[in-house]
Amino acid sequence: MADESLLSEDLLRQLMSVGEADLLVAIPTYNNAGTIAQAIQSIEDSYQQNFVRDRVAILNVDGGSSDQTQQIIASLNGKKDSIRRGITSLRTVHRITTQYGRSPSQGSALKVVFSAADLLRVKACAVVSPATTSLDPAWAANLLRPAYRQDFAFVAPLYSRSKFQGLLARNLLYPMSRAVFGVRIREMYADEWGFSGRLASECGSQPMDEAVRARPEAWMAVNAICNGMKCSQSYLGPRTTVPSGGPDIVETIRQTVGNLFYCCDAFQDHWLDRNGTESVQTFGSDHELTPEDAPPRPDKSFELFRNGFQTLQDAVLKSILAKDTLAQLKQIAAMDIDKFDFPSELWVRVLYDFAAAYHRTAISRDHILQALVPLYRGQLFSFLADHAQSTPEEMEADTEALCLEFERQKPYLIERWKAKS
Amino acid sequence: MKDAIVQGLQQAYQNMSQMIAQFLPRLVVMLVIVLTGVLVAYAFKYAARMILRLTKLDRLSEEAGASKVLRMAALPSMTEVLSRSVFWITLLGFILIGISVLNIAGLQEQIARLLRLLPEIVVAMLILFLGLVIANFLSRAVLLGSVNRGYGSAMLFSWSVRFIIWILAITMALDELSVARQTVLAAFSIVFGAFMLGLAIAFGFGGQDLARKFLERSLAEKKTDDSDELQPL
Repeated sequence: MADESLLSEDLLRQLMSVGEADLLVAIPTYNNAGTIAQAIQSIEDSYQQNFVRDRVAILNVDGGSSDQTQQIIASLNGKKDSIRRGITSLRTVHRITTQYGRSPSQGSALKVVFSAADLLRVKACAVVSPATTSLDPAWAANLLRPAYRQDFAFVAPLYSRSKFQGLLARNLLYPMSRAVFGVRIREMYADEWGFSGRLASECGSQPMDEAVRARPEAWMAVNAICNGMKCSQSYLGPRTTVPSGGPDIVETIRQTVGNLFYCCDAFQDHWLDRNGTESVQTFGSDHELTPEDAPPRPDKSFELFRNGFQTLQDAVLKSILAKDTLAQLKQIAAMDIDKFDFPSELWVRVLYDFAAAYHRTAISRDHILQALVPLYRGQLFSFLADHAQSTPEEMEADTEALCLEFERQKPYLIERWKAKS
Repeated sequence: MKDAIVQGLQQAYQNMSQMIAQFLPRLVVMLVIVLTGVLVAYAFKYAARMILRLTKLDRLSEEAGASKVLRMAALPSMTEVLSRSVFWITLLGFILIGISVLNIAGLQEQIARLLRLLPEIVVAMLILFLGLVIANFLSRAVLLGSVNRGYGSAMLFSWSVRFIIWILAITMALDELSVARQTVLAAFSIVFGAFMLGLAIAFGFGGQDLARKFLERSLAEKKTDDSDELQPL
């Protein structure tokens, strides 16, 4: 059921004037004056080209932009009846806009989207990021279609990536979420995704924990998996974004790995007795990698790993890691930079120890996540050194081997998970 | 003259012998009481531990979130904390009884005063416990923050925070007990002031370059193309 208390009177009026809709694309904004017009245009084009007979709406949820974002959206709304080129929709593309707070929060924005979707009784929704500059009219269609026409509850994107892009997802988020939840969704942590009205209703009726508010899309995917709903992935193409700085690696790990560990904890009944993995239906080409020159050797990462490990091993890591894991880390931290290698077997054990420590709150959960950062830097250094000259195919093979290592060691995770201390 | 000295010495010797003769049995009694106290305290500790384990207090404490607080302070489980408290309270009680057997003038009164101070002692212990929890939590937060930003003196920063909070907690606890209130406050002001002044001088004179670099780094626009932090998602 929609939580109407989340909706302002103005938003309720706008939703009531729309009535019902089949499709909804939401754009959470915060100071996106530079790109918002292009994003809205792209979605409208997508509706015009792909959903001519369907009732469609665009919902902008703003987190309190202080730039011209709201004014630009208002000016676009004034032109909504302008004559368009080519194929035109038989129905009006409704534009709804609202502000949910004075500071940006993806979770709060999504709660408003859930409520609006429920009130409009939409069949499929998509969320797109206005920071994506490569947003194409096909994107919204590719995210909406599987949920609208084929009964998929969650639609993850697939991007074409350069070799050294998305390494946290490649080395941690994808293999671990795949091994734990048993579903091979490549991009569970993305800024664009699609979902069915039913999943919106299911997620809208649940409280959203603080741990998942920054990256609610992965929580939605896990919800779909654990509720037995069908998931899929759609190829979107290469993704470029506005160079806005974005969160640093510490914040990114807090948001994404924190989200993953929280989902492991919250949905443990689903995965503790489950083995193996299932692939999901993929629309369009599979995950694509484009060749790229190797980045400069990140010696700084190695130094941050070694110094961080030495400083934290007694004060923090001792409370998180198993004795054997800590001993092996000590050995590799003592290696010379030119011979340094972070074995994938050890990396998997480290992550499983961290997940178990998070589960039993060995120390503050936020501190557990922060303590992972130096170890991730060590693994990143090792990975980049190994793959400086690798072809995309070799990198993919390596990722698959890592995924299998995560699956092979899942009993270790379960053992650590169930241990009392 | 000589006789008077010998007589005086004899008198002193007799008095001392008499005092020792009177005191020694009391001392032995006190030692017996304290020894018994140790045994009883151990027995109580193990009994308390068993009962608390049977009642599954740790699980309740986990559910209530109290275990998290204890872990944050690097303290053992709730069962262990309570059974150890039972041990020390029992032992303290026996020690007080033992001391009262010694019948030393003024000591009885001090013990009675100590008992009257019991509520303040509990509050002071609570303050120290909270101080310990906060000091451990914040010092670890500073340690992790410094390590992840690549600062060289992460341990120093962390220990500085821990030290400041400990000093503050001890001062507040002593203030609660009204122990040399003025002196403690003055000592705290001096120690804290000296520490901050030391830091200010060290940073201002010794680390001008470091300060300049730090401010430049903090105020400059964030770089996103560090080789260390390739686009992670």
